[in-house]
Amino acid sequence: MRILLVQPAPFEGGRIGLENVLWLSEPAALTAVAAMIGDEHEVRILDMRLEEADQLPRVLATFRPELVGVTCMTTDAYQAQAILHCARSTLGGGVFTVLGGHHPTLCPEEHDLPEIDAIVLGEGEDTFRELVLHLSEGGDRERLDHIDGLAFRRGQERVTTAKRSQARQLDEFPAPARHLLGDYRSEYFFASAAGMVSIQTSRGCAFDCNFCAIWEFYERKVRFLSAKGIADRMEESEEKFVFFLDDNFLTRPQRLVELCDEIERRKIKKYWLIQGRTDFVVENPELVRRMRDCGLMMVLSGYETNDEGTLDALRKDNTRANNLAAAAMLNDLSIMTTGIFMAHPDFEPEDFDALYAAINEMKITIPLVVIHMPLPGTQSYRENRDQLLTEDARMFDLLHAVTPTRLPRAEFYQHYARWNDATMSATDRSLSWRFLARRPRMILALRRGLKTFAKRRDILRATLRDPETYLRDEEQILHDRPLSRSSSRQTDLVAS
Amino acid sequence: MIVSNTAPGFTEGLSPWLSDLRAEVESHPGVNHLLLSRLATGRYTKSDYQVFGLQHYPMVGNFTRYMELLLLRAPSSEQKLWLAKVLVDEYGEGSDGDDHATLYLDYLHKLGMPEGLEHTTALVPEVWEFIGVHLRLCREEPFLVGLGALGPGHEWAIPKMFHQIIPGLERAGVSYDDRMYFDLHTEQDIEHASWMAQALEQLGTNEEARAQVRRGALLSLGTRFRFWTGVERHIVARRQPTSIEAVRRGLIGRRRPENIRSGGDLGQLRAAVENTLVGRPWPVPLPSDKVLLEVAP
Repeated sequence: MRILLVQPAPFEGGRIGLENVLWLSEPAALTAVAAMIGDEHEVRILDMRLEEADQLPRVLATFRPELVGVTCMTTDAYQAQAILHCARSTLGGGVFTVLGGHHPTLCPEEHDLPEIDAIVLGEGEDTFRELVLHLSEGGDRERLDHIDGLAFRRGQERVTTAKRSQARQLDEFPAPARHLLGDYRSEYFFASAAGMVSIQTSRGCAFDCNFCAIWEFYERKVRFLSAKGIADRMEESEEKFVFFLDDNFLTRPQRLVELCDEIERRKIKKYWLIQGRTDFVVENPELVRRMRDCGLMMVLSGYETNDEGTLDALRKDNTRANNLAAAAMLNDLSIMTTGIFMAHPDFEPEDFDALYAAINEMKITIPLVVIHMPLPGTQSYRENRDQLLTEDARMFDLLHAVTPTRLPRAEFYQHYARWNDATMSATDRSLSWRFLARRPRMILALRRGLKTFAKRRDILRATLRDPETYLRDEEQILHDRPLSRSSSRQTDLVAS
Repeated sequence: MIVSNTAPGFTEGLSPWLSDLRAEVESHPGVNHLLLSRLATGRYTKSDYQVFGLQHYPMVGNFTRYMELLLLRAPSSEQKLWLAKVLVDEYGEGSDGDDHATLYLDYLHKLGMPEGLEHTTALVPEVWEFIGVHLRLCREEPFLVGLGALGPGHEWAIPKMFHQIIPGLERAGVSYDDRMYFDLHTEQDIEHASWMAQALEQLGTNEEARAQVRRGALLSLGTRFRFWTGVERHIVARRQPTSIEAVRRGLIGRRRPENIRSGGDLGQLRAAVENTLVGRPWPVPLPSDKVLLEVAP
């Protein structure tokens, strides 16, 4: 079978968001499912974040796949639908189209469209493998009942099969089929860390923050790849930088000790970037120091806020003191920090000022201020759905207020748009001479991607510091009052 | 709404070469550009459609010009008659006497476009390319190349493309009456396509003739493909003017920086068309045939 797997871009071609400017990680979901398919199939991966929109129909017309699979989150949900529409439009009814990922799993009803033949619900590897096997053996495309974790159409009927169990340990999965990424591989990056492999070493999260859907997607369970498995994948990759995709890498200290053992034993010389919580950093200073010595370069953490009460409201189960201590500790260790902070729709001007001041005080290397929003699939979404001003998936990009703001919107965005400039001194203060001098090799390795990153960052800044960017994006998309109170969702549109 | 690749009923009775050509047109990237799928499935607003429409409008206004040019070069009375039937419809028969450009302008006003904006809007380079290429095909290439561009390249392609645009217009709240231009084309052009098919059956008597028709169709669709790309960027640029600059400079994505340019607004375009008809060169560079044919390798 000829199979085309497509990673959608979050937006139409040319639009800028945080993802394609500040970081771009490998389409790990696609390389993971591709690894499950036998060699008898011809598989291609198309990363639309790196391609112009016009590349898709060209590839469809020349490769003529028999199955097209797309994965998506929330912001790229419409793009994923468009890709499958394009596949059906180009290739007709003969092509089988399948969609997977977080958003289709958590909101399958939004993808019940004629151009989508099936939706993979939950973890996709085994479901996809069974689907490919069934179709390649000439199985009826409307008789998929025996494949767990699938929603599909049988005529006018919508069928959802039994739930796919998430019992497989991560070491049992084959290594991702990274060879299918071809020359894309040199184009993934985090800031100036260019030439970066992305590795997922765990799935799920033990915490239950109300703004995050990870723990629900993985049914409150966490599964890990062993330290040996991680080291194998690090060794197999040629890239100098490794981005661990785990939503919370900093957990299970024993596994991390073992990972450091493996790295030292095998003499792996790579720089790695992780996502993890500040409380772990504070509670495990010696381990973090050892990880630094083994190549840990950056820790991305959700600091979320400078306010204790808000942390509680988010069910973060962490403290402001931990945030402050972790940032200081990481700076002392010359480990870069990427901090995500939330501006809340009820912010007044002084709240913005206080947040920006706190970020500067913490000396976060790469601060990112996003807008707090109830993301689809989260507890917060279920609780606040009646407050939404739009259900347009594109607006759930953390850069737009999808609930009413206390300030007039133009004023809200005026203050929000300041974040990049207002927190620049945090970066300057973090990257002190002392910090840099302690890790000269790391700085040297980062130098290669610095020029391109600086250009990208300048364009991002120019876009994000203009309040009109957000208002133009919302124009005719946002309602002037919450949807639950609107007389009609088709009317009362605001021309901002 | 999905239009089947094998358009039931339409290919019935067509000779194999025309059926093959029909299938090639319907699966061509110019007819299946991702922008069209985005319009079909996404959430574009009336403002977005206005941006799109202001670029599309000059192309609508020039179609009859291509037909007139080709009509003059038709080698026999019978062929002139087939073209004339289409041309009469394009002049306004079947749409209460309004020609298609008038219908389109009406649609733009219904979207909220201020009076006269169509005259002052800068046109993207791809609009200039599209019109320049079609004038060339209808004036300088063999008659059958021109017929391929306007027949399979337009009349076969447009119903499928517009079928993808209409659902998005509906979602944006544009009523049937207001978007009549698009609905009419999904109806009228099927008839036009049928007349054209009859003509092509008669004319495609040898390999050379068939190759000329196919070449015209693919050149037309190649420039159509580039048009969709240009329009999509323009839609994005309205909301994020700085980001397109990043794309053009090759900072985002993998595309090489481009060096194509526009010749200006509608008035300048009209003047350029008139000048071309009296033998002056088209004022902006046109893509080579190789570039246009590579769209669907």
